[in-house]
Amino acid sequence: MAHFAKINENNEVLHVLTVNNKDVLNSNQQEEESVGQTYLETHNNWPAHLWIQTSYNTINNTHINGGTPFRGNYAATGYTWDSTNQIFWSPQPYSSWVKHISTASWKSPIGDAPDLTDAQTAENTAGTHKWVYVWNETAYQADNTNGWELTNTLA
Amino acid sequence: MHKKVLTEQALYFGDVKMPKGFEINHDKLKADILQANIENNDFKFSKNWDKLNTFIREHINLRYQINLVNKSTWGNFLKPFTNTEPLLEVDPVDLRNSPDFVLLYGVQVKNCFIRIYYEDNRRKGRSWDIELKNNMFIMFPSTNTYIIRNKKNEDLNFIQTITYEYI
Repeated sequence: MAHFAKINENNEVLHVLTVNNKDVLNSNQQEEESVGQTYLETHNNWPAHLWIQTSYNTINNTHINGGTPFRGNYAATGYTWDSTNQIFWSPQPYSSWVKHISTASWKSPIGDAPDLTDAQTAENTAGTHKWVYVWNETAYQADNTNGWELTNTLA
Repeated sequence: MHKKVLTEQALYFGDVKMPKGFEINHDKLKADILQANIENNDFKFSKNWDKLNTFIREHINLRYQINLVNKSTWGNFLKPFTNTEPLLEVDPVDLRNSPDFVLLYGVQVKNCFIRIYYEDNRRKGRSWDIELKNNMFIMFPSTNTYIIRNKKNEDLNFIQTITYEYI
């Protein structure tokens, strides 16, 4: 099955539709995006150029079965199509977070969360705690060297 | 100190901005409304109606995460200088099968106003007026009574109504 994202003229994903493989084959029996776009235009009252093929198996620019990733992420309603970078972006999680093109994901402006210590990991494994780093946008806006806060979600 | 909003009466309105070349054909929709009214039949599914319905459902879901499911639809035309009776789409004795929202769409309108009545706690009988223009929609809770008014117009006003429940 092939998947196509229906986008509006602001590049926002409205919907994702599944199309039968035979409806995206050209005369040489090769899969071709424009064939699927034409099929969708005919049957869905929406112009061909606003249907963008997306890969069910791609997330964070990685193919989950080890294949070639396609367009960054599998599209979903609320995602944004970036034709320049050929990526479907999820909604920005926090106002300070920035796009990381190579992983097709959002990153905090001060990098990834620190690793848990061995003691914290052991407590998580034992089930006595559940330590995670949570982003605090208010803290970051007050002091742009802060942002990640260690939290025990079992507390 | 904290605040919790238990319910809200939200109104959603705007234009139906279809891509160029895929606009709703208002003449055809108008003809469908006339035909259904003259023949006293249910409003028939059409490509133009589907464009409107799909646009509304997808964009309301995108903007407000409300999944709308169709309940019913019909078209109205209103003579010059006339008001409808107060309209209420919820059935007070059959809430289970009543819609959640009413959508009005301006198919071909001029000087057409919608008056929506609401209650603000002990302040009863309040109302809010909005002009319905061509290619514009307004959606509001089905529990609000409303009136459609055709003011100072020499032509008929054509309005498509769709009711929805949300899941």
